[in-house]
Amino acid sequence: MKPSRILAAMSGGVDSSVTAALLVEAGHEVIGVTMKTFCYDETAGPSRTCCGLDGILDARSVADRLGIRHMVFDVEEEFTRDVIDDFVDEYAAGRTPNPCVRCNSNTKFRDLLRRGEALGCDGIATGHYVRVRHGAEGSTLHRGADSGKDQAYFLWGLPAGMIPRLHFPLGGLTKPEVRAMARELGLVTADKPESQEICFVPSGDYREFLQQRLRPRHPALEPGPLVTLEGDVVGRHDGYAGFTVGQRKGLGGGFPEPFYVLEIRPEGREVVIGPKEALETHGLEATGANWIASPPAPDEEVLVQIRHRGRGIPARVEASEGGASWECRFLEAEPAVTPGQSAVVFRGDQLLGGGRIARILREEGSRTPEAAELSA
Amino acid sequence: MTGIYLDHAATTPMRPGVAAAMRQVEEEAWGNPSSPHQVGARARRALTEARARVAARLGYAPREIHFVRGGTEANNLAILGRFAHLRTSAPDDPLPPFGLSALEHSSVSAPASHLEGQGVELVRLPFDAMGRPDRSRLRQCLERGPGLLSVQAVNSECGLALSVEEVLEASAAAGVPVHVDGAQALHMELPKPSGRPLLLSLSGHKLGGPRGIAILAVPSSVALAPLLHGGPQEFGLRPGTEDVAGAVGVAQALEETMEACAVRTGELETLRALLERRAMEATEGVRIVAREGPRSPHIVALGLPGVETEVLLGALDLEGVAASAGSACRSGSSEPGPAVRTFLGPDATTFGILRLSLGWNTTPAEVEEASGILHRVLRRLTRSTIAPSPSKEGSSR
Repeated sequence: MKPSRILAAMSGGVDSSVTAALLVEAGHEVIGVTMKTFCYDETAGPSRTCCGLDGILDARSVADRLGIRHMVFDVEEEFTRDVIDDFVDEYAAGRTPNPCVRCNSNTKFRDLLRRGEALGCDGIATGHYVRVRHGAEGSTLHRGADSGKDQAYFLWGLPAGMIPRLHFPLGGLTKPEVRAMARELGLVTADKPESQEICFVPSGDYREFLQQRLRPRHPALEPGPLVTLEGDVVGRHDGYAGFTVGQRKGLGGGFPEPFYVLEIRPEGREVVIGPKEALETHGLEATGANWIASPPAPDEEVLVQIRHRGRGIPARVEASEGGASWECRFLEAEPAVTPGQSAVVFRGDQLLGGGRIARILREEGSRTPEAAELSA
Repeated sequence: MTGIYLDHAATTPMRPGVAAAMRQVEEEAWGNPSSPHQVGARARRALTEARARVAARLGYAPREIHFVRGGTEANNLAILGRFAHLRTSAPDDPLPPFGLSALEHSSVSAPASHLEGQGVELVRLPFDAMGRPDRSRLRQCLERGPGLLSVQAVNSECGLALSVEEVLEASAAAGVPVHVDGAQALHMELPKPSGRPLLLSLSGHKLGGPRGIAILAVPSSVALAPLLHGGPQEFGLRPGTEDVAGAVGVAQALEETMEACAVRTGELETLRALLERRAMEATEGVRIVAREGPRSPHIVALGLPGVETEVLLGALDLEGVAASAGSACRSGSSEPGPAVRTFLGPDATTFGILRLSLGWNTTPAEVEEASGILHRVLRRLTRSTIAPSPSKEGSSR
């Protein structure tokens, strides 16, 4: 990589701090940027996640230490529109959204790249644990070397045209290595804890957040029936927004065997529950698809990852005409596929593309019979 | 890269004459002015002389000049000190309202909010883009007998000069004391008390003097209570061992500023016009905030459609031009200040804001170079090929 001017996203966490440091070490002219994504006044208490006001100050102090420029970009409006509103709408529709994917696809990279171009930068860098390979045939995106930290799952929505301009200096490192580097460099962020919660819900209580954002007495937060697949009402719940397909907790007891959430039906405020085997899924349909590489051939065996911490499930994928959606068939049954979450397609460690899970296919083999239709 | 500093309204480098005068004080008159010995006396003489110089320039008696620690403190002392006095002098009476222009800097509007929290009613006085007060509102405000009326002489966001003289005349007739924040009034005649109840704040470092010192002139007819307690210094209004070098520095800076004022104003106007013209040539729809109004020649605020403030400031900084968006102090905030918001109208937030401010050492060559850079950067920014992120798309929903 020849020296160039690179815009590095700095959240104020250890990963992005080391990212900037590695780029400086490699001889690049680095401009550190912190994205101000939401109004901190609304989040009470100390800001524990990245990108809070503390994050801005930490990022600035790291940039000072590295001797690089630091800027703050206010993307509150875009972030609210593309990430927070979507998060609320998805829960209201009975799905389980993935705001980090949404942020990476719509806000973070696009806004960085656009501003980076305005600032005369050749590329942008973030602290994601993924690898990018720039070759003569084009650029490809791959899982990070640290399997425990790999974040490729979150990046499926990046426009393919962007990939050649991206840098991920941490892709080949492990988290302990990154922390050790941060300590060696004397960065104030070296021992900051990992951020776990959704950045705009620092309390971790997303239901409370939805209560603030949804209109009073929104059906998603009103009590409703717990029903079985046969249609029997077996209990009450206190709002379907509190449930995720595959969830076991919070259903109350008194069932002959452990029951799980199978489906959420917003129209009747119903949460459908049943035994573990009823969760079994044989495929899915994903919409809002994005392909970073060419979609796989229908007969190619690929891996489909359906949650952040999940493994890749062997599957075959068929993209629709035009590529806006795709359907996949798992080669083995998979418990609990969650509508609203991302389904991401890999060839080995290469990220090919992904989509948002719109339907789950419970029947084995056949294409679209008796699919559990979910309000898409 | 040489670097061109066009953010003098934030702070300006110290004038060499000021640095020399202060160095002399540090070497020869470093004592404590309250000490009974000759070392103290030397410091006391330097302080007395500085006070007399300031008083002569501003049209006050020396006893009416107070050296305090910074412009924010001067404004706080004028406002909070005034209401502290009213509270103690008539503890059984309700406190009168506090009137202030709707364009004030946070060092006035924040103490105002603090008073409001203590039950003082605030009366905000609108000013138009010509710097004129809303006359009927001014009259209504004065009829209510406010404890103080605070009006800035020159707005720090856009350079607009407010009609302080008109406010002063009307207030004096009504017997209402007026506080004028003159921090940015470097290129105009400062209002003189001339027997009227006029309080005036001036900040040292905006004048090319040292930081951490300011002047608060308080006419003997207006009583204030101190905010700090600990000694009789500054006629009981500001305790603490005096900063003699700072006092000499701000006196020197004030004199140099006032002397340069006459010759410098026309030159700055020409330089500012060049910056404005090059910005307007670069892109469509550029707005000059309060363009028609009487503006101090050292400040211009530009409203730039389709430009993001932070990106513009970053791009200029990369090219060696230091500028700002106004006097926003909140970290990461890109909200325009009250004057820009008022004068750009309801769609103020759709503009990128650029404040350029010239100083005592700004040269024509620098401004020429900066105007070229500004032109180039604006053209690049308004021709970006990557569109902003789209609004919600339907495909995934």
